Amino acid sequence: MTLLRVENVSKSFGGLKAVDQVSLELRKGEILGIIGPNGAGKTTLFSIIAGSMPASAGAVFLGERRLSGLRANGVVAAGVVRTHQIVRPFTNLTVLENVTVGAMFGSPSTRHNPRARAHEELAFVGLAERAHHLPAGLTLVARKRLELARALATGPKVLLLDEVIAGVNPVEAIEMTKLIRVIRDQRGISIIMIEHILAALMSVSDRVVVLDYGKKIAEGKPAEVVRDAKVITAYLGEEHAKSNGGIRGPAAENSP
Amino acid sequence: MSTWRQFIPEWLSPAVLAVFVAAAAVLHALPYVVALSPYDHNQLTLAFLFIATALAWNWIGGFAGQISFGHAAMFGVGGFAAARALQMQVAPFWVPWLLGGLVAGAYGLAWGHPTLRLRGPYFSIATIGVGEATRLVLTYWQGFTGGASGLALPINAQLKYSLYWYALYFLALVAIASYAIRNSRLGLGLLSIKSDVEAAADVGVPVVFCQDLVLFLSGAVVGVAGGIYASYFSFIEPSDMFGFDRSISFVLMAVIGGVGTVFGPGLGAVVFVLLRQFLIASYPQLYLGLYGLLLVLVVLFEPLGISGLIFRVARRLRPHRGAT
Amino acid sequence: MARGLELLLSAVLLAGLYAMMAYGLGLIYGVLRIVNLNHGGMIMVGAYLGWYLHERAGIDPYLSLPIAAVVGFATGVVIYGGLVRYLPRGPAGGVQSLLLLFGVWLVLRNVAYLQFTGNDQAIRTDYSTKAVVVLGSALSLNRLIVFALAALLLVALDLLLTRTYLGKAIRAVAQNADSCRVAGIDVERIYTFTFGFGTALATMAGLLLGTLFPFNPTFGAGELLKSFVIVVLGGLGSVLGTAVAALILAIVEVFAILLLPAYLTGAVGFVLLVLVLIFRPGGLFGQRVLG
Repeated sequence: MTLLRVENVSKSFGGLKAVDQVSLELRKGEILGIIGPNGAGKTTLFSIIAGSMPASAGAVFLGERRLSGLRANGVVAAGVVRTHQIVRPFTNLTVLENVTVGAMFGSPSTRHNPRARAHEELAFVGLAERAHHLPAGLTLVARKRLELARALATGPKVLLLDEVIAGVNPVEAIEMTKLIRVIRDQRGISIIMIEHILAALMSVSDRVVVLDYGKKIAEGKPAEVVRDAKVITAYLGEEHAKSNGGIRGPAAENSP
Repeated sequence: MSTWRQFIPEWLSPAVLAVFVAAAAVLHALPYVVALSPYDHNQLTLAFLFIATALAWNWIGGFAGQISFGHAAMFGVGGFAAARALQMQVAPFWVPWLLGGLVAGAYGLAWGHPTLRLRGPYFSIATIGVGEATRLVLTYWQGFTGGASGLALPINAQLKYSLYWYALYFLALVAIASYAIRNSRLGLGLLSIKSDVEAAADVGVPVVFCQDLVLFLSGAVVGVAGGIYASYFSFIEPSDMFGFDRSISFVLMAVIGGVGTVFGPGLGAVVFVLLRQFLIASYPQLYLGLYGLLLVLVVLFEPLGISGLIFRVARRLRPHRGAT
Repeated sequence: MARGLELLLSAVLLAGLYAMMAYGLGLIYGVLRIVNLNHGGMIMVGAYLGWYLHERAGIDPYLSLPIAAVVGFATGVVIYGGLVRYLPRGPAGGVQSLLLLFGVWLVLRNVAYLQFTGNDQAIRTDYSTKAVVVLGSALSLNRLIVFALAALLLVALDLLLTRTYLGKAIRAVAQNADSCRVAGIDVERIYTFTFGFGTALATMAGLLLGTLFPFNPTFGAGELLKSFVIVVLGGLGSVLGTAVAALILAIVEVFAILLLPAYLTGAVGFVLLVLVLIFRPGGLFGQRVLG
């Protein structure tokens, strides 16, 4: 059953087409991965879905409800929330207060006891002991968890994760991946994730969409997409596509 | 003690409540207990007004982080609206004050709604324009302000004496509101807007609504203060009510006292009033320069002003966790 | 019709001065990302400087321009090096720099008040009231000279920014200060220079304004606002953009005085600002000044 629908969305900045007629669907309970070389328009697409940027053309729907045209806070109220590629905690608030903002202003279901909700989310991501610290004192991975907790506190149906795993060490990456699975399995939240760490993304996604130069060039199960010639060309250039290889993440290289 | 607690809202700390009630009681009783000269009595009345305006300015300047250099516009609009209502003998006398507040708040909302989308310095410069444009246009609107020569109200010595208590309770309300806003959903929303407006919207904070609401409230309070001010002097004129110097005074009081803290601006207002007394007596022509110097010093050495100094001392005495 | 042409010409003349004045604000913002709230203060200083040199030393105000430039530059360097430098850069520094420079403005206002009293002054020379006939319209000689000087300065500024090493360094820092550091450019020095230049421009503009309008210590607030409108309208970076925006503002102003009752003309600057900010926050040339 389709939960989120992106229909023919385009975005131009002056003469540059950052997103070019992209359509995709997120099914309920699914984890959809989005990959693509730098500058492919992935984060721009997220900004459009989340309502922080208007599309130049096309529309986004959550079920029957049209999300396009809503302001960012309206999209959150409808049940779709995003995290940022470069984390943006509220530096003047404590960790607990950061998450409380999400609980207080998210979708109506979370608002009646926001502080309790905030404590729960902090416990869920493992930041309970840091509740009264300022974000400035946190490591990068802790700040990513904070951003995740804050987003979860809004009580979303759809979670847009923008490179939540990139930049942390492999052990932490595995922890994060587990957490993402739990979010889907135990909390019933559907997820779209952008990720550069292909191994992580491939291992957790049900389906993958590939963007290049703003266009969708491939879509399907991770194993299929990785062997798609267009995708290989986009990442590695034409010669590699001609040889029989596929795109392999670091984990694949280590296996016999 | 635990049964007591039930009656106090969760966000209100008993210590703060106790201090507040004690202060209100002391100030209420003061004129009965101590023989205050009329001058001191009146100066206290004015001080209460200034403290209230500083606290209210801080809601938009400190909590939301949008520095307004044009708040005199609401002070003047409220003051003249109240004065006109008083002239028309709208009774009882505090109704014109409320009216002034509503009109001022609405005015704030009118210019604020489009301008609040600007961030930081852009908003601030726009407010300089608001203040000046309001002054220029309304000075010539004789029907409202009586032109450059201003409006005179019938003098009522008894009312002026009792203004002390009206101003005190007005201040009490504003102080409670300040504390409540800071600890409420609105307050947290404003602080998140102040930190990162886009990220705030991305987690559901209704940015436009929060900013509009707080500017309305801030403007309304400042407008009521303008009305009480009109009753106090029985005479008001545009150049004083709408002047840039008046807008500056709001900024100064809050910054010197601690912009963004709950009660800091109140401290700043007290310092401001005392300083003014001293300067008017000894060096009347130096006050602007001194204020400018204070601003520079606060920004360079202690961004939270007097409150910052107090926090530093408190931290020495009692190592504390956590933030703001 | 002839009146219309006369107004149009006087608007053009004023626009040159406005452009130069606005550029001082825009330069500092473009490079340091700081809004110089003391811009109005330095304009006021420039006016008084010209008046003082004329009254006490008999120097023709237009010949004092180089002095104003030097005084302005030095003041800017001192303000930057002594105060602004210590502020955190970026959004956290925004409010701080605003308040700091505002504080400096207040101090300058007070100093001017102590030295010169609060009364209106004006710089009057023997030829202040002379007029020259151009295209059938009588134009004030003062305004013509001011225009010529402002235009000259703007051209010189443009050449400086595009043809010299210093100019290129300034533009590079405006684009990306971090890359410049890596490339070996002394970014702090550029910041200091730019703040000095911007302040010098404001001071010179103030002197020229002083030859056209009466002034007192509160002078400068309106000019700050106008400069801001021009910077937002014209975007940052191009002298041409600033010039066009200045022209638009001058024309709107001149015709507002003609068409509107006196008490509304003061609101023109602000209304224009709000309109521009709502409808074209990217300026006429699409260069984003905001956000």
